[in-house]
Amino acid sequence: MIENMLAMNKKNLLGTVCAAVALTALVSSCGDKTTRSTGLEFSRNMYDPLAFNPDQPNANFADGKTAQTPPKGTDPVGFTRFEYANTLEEYERAGREVKNPLVVNAENLEKGKALFTTYCSVCHGPEGKGDGPLTKDRSVTDSRGTRQLENFPPPPSYHRTDKANSSRGGFMADLTDGKIYHTIYYGHNSMGSHASQLSPEERWKVVMYVHELQKK
Amino acid sequence: MRTISSVLGSLARVVSTSLMLLFAVTTLHAQDVKEGEKIFKSKCTSCHAIDRKVVGPALKGVPDTKSEEWLIKWIRNSQALIASGDAEAVKIFEEYNKSVMTSFTDLSDDQIKSVIAFIKDASVEKPKDPTKDGAAAKDDNASMFMILGLIAVVVLAVVVIVVLNRVIRTLENVIAKNQEAIAAQQEPEDNQRFVKFAKAFVKNKKLVGFTVLMLVALLAVGGWKTMWNVGVHEGYKPVQPIKFSHQIHAGVNKIECQYCHGGAFKSKNASIPSANVCMNCHNTITASEHYDGEISPEIAKIYRALDWNPETRTYGNNPKPIQWVRIHNLPDFAYFNHSQHVVVAGVECQTCHGPIQNMEEVYQYSPLTMKWCVDCHKKTDIKSDNKYYEDLIKAHERIKKGEKMTAAMIGGLECGKCHY
Repeated sequence: MIENMLAMNKKNLLGTVCAAVALTALVSSCGDKTTRSTGLEFSRNMYDPLAFNPDQPNANFADGKTAQTPPKGTDPVGFTRFEYANTLEEYERAGREVKNPLVVNAENLEKGKALFTTYCSVCHGPEGKGDGPLTKDRSVTDSRGTRQLENFPPPPSYHRTDKANSSRGGFMADLTDGKIYHTIYYGHNSMGSHASQLSPEERWKVVMYVHELQKK
Repeated sequence: MRTISSVLGSLARVVSTSLMLLFAVTTLHAQDVKEGEKIFKSKCTSCHAIDRKVVGPALKGVPDTKSEEWLIKWIRNSQALIASGDAEAVKIFEEYNKSVMTSFTDLSDDQIKSVIAFIKDASVEKPKDPTKDGAAAKDDNASMFMILGLIAVVVLAVVVIVVLNRVIRTLENVIAKNQEAIAAQQEPEDNQRFVKFAKAFVKNKKLVGFTVLMLVALLAVGGWKTMWNVGVHEGYKPVQPIKFSHQIHAGVNKIECQYCHGGAFKSKNASIPSANVCMNCHNTITASEHYDGEISPEIAKIYRALDWNPETRTYGNNPKPIQWVRIHNLPDFAYFNHSQHVVVAGVECQTCHGPIQNMEEVYQYSPLTMKWCVDCHKKTDIKSDNKYYEDLIKAHERIKKGEKMTAAMIGGLECGKCHY
């Protein structure tokens, strides 16, 4: 009687173990393998730097941030000051006075094109026709369902053949060094300032490439 | 009689011609509005919207307050109108801080008129869409059904409760009669069974051995896995303060990664963009069409962080940083430089960060363990077309020729070699 029961229990036990293993395997293979927690950590202090990372909170500053903006009246290394205010008169003055300090060569143009592609083409379009992906109809399907995304107002084309007007007078194809630089620096209309994203040298490379687009 | 018939005839003619005229006028008007909308969307939306102030004023109702003639002059060349000393034009120019409206000398009178027609048309509160009304009616029907259904459910529930109560009462009676007998039988039997089983289990040495072995093996495998995953944050997907979707921004909108994470070009850190970068687009984009004309709550968080007032379009002086949760956290004892990988080696962002353009919420795709780094370094070819390798080859040639080489010539005077 007892032996009988044991034989039965053996089977049961084996079955249970097998089922348990199969279940764990199944559970661990399910889901998208993402988690809200960092999991088990050992000596967490080795992950947190002693020095402050730029994006860390910092009690040493009044505003609690590590990344501070440079004090007024100072220039970061490698930056030259742009002494023109954000007004129409100063824009026109910059257009007359400021010239691109870089020489036009293939290397600068190539870099200018790469920078234009990264920082400008999303609205201005890869060819500067004002037809970037943000200006076109597009929709997204995600956890909230499918919906249409808002279009960004298209900027005017740089191409000479398109004869588009600049909102501050003249054709887009006639914008000078200083005017384009002023616009990158301060932004205009729906365009924001890109001064924090591009160094002065990079801005001039973009200006150089925009002149290439104006020839089209 | 003849006079009456002729009068009737002429009346009919008049009515029919006037109807035709009216029809013609309305279709002409419709065409104007359509054409106007097209021009408005291509030339005006970068500064104007109908319902809200963007760069220029909201245009709702403007055609009612100004004469068409004046509007045509203003739209064609506002600067000329201001220069001519038109009092109204000068007043608007001053009011908007002397910001200049683009001149549209290329538009004909008719084209400008059609734009004005479109603005007039868009200013009028539209009666509800008939399809939407249909939907509302359907909704009413649906709610009627729901109410009827609810009543039916309540009635059914009452019936079920009454029946169940009866059943419970009869069962209680039966239990009360048999309780003592059941209690006497059941308990000892259960206990006996368990004891019997435990005794038999302990007696069987093989079975005990097997169970212990199984437990040890499970613990060992589990422990091994856990140990290897200590401090590995693969799959980590924290909740961020703003539901920023990389799927929308990098995937659908096709914004380059470095537009926001420009630091990846220039420095060790790929950098989280400051909120002014968000505002390059979100000064215009509010996603309000999905929120009944209100600003999207997630976009409003950017505005709060920057203390930006979307009504007056001005910044306040009480900005608060957005506290994003760091996902990729390399221990401080390991040095990693983004620009070395992105600019010099030309590694795609996706190689380490995975299909970021499809991630609605970002998670850590790679384990970021030392083995993972080493495995990739073992199989990645170098890009030797840069100055580093030119200098290296030059130095080797000088050594081969037996020329003098000092530490300074191979970068021994660079500050960072000692002061890092």
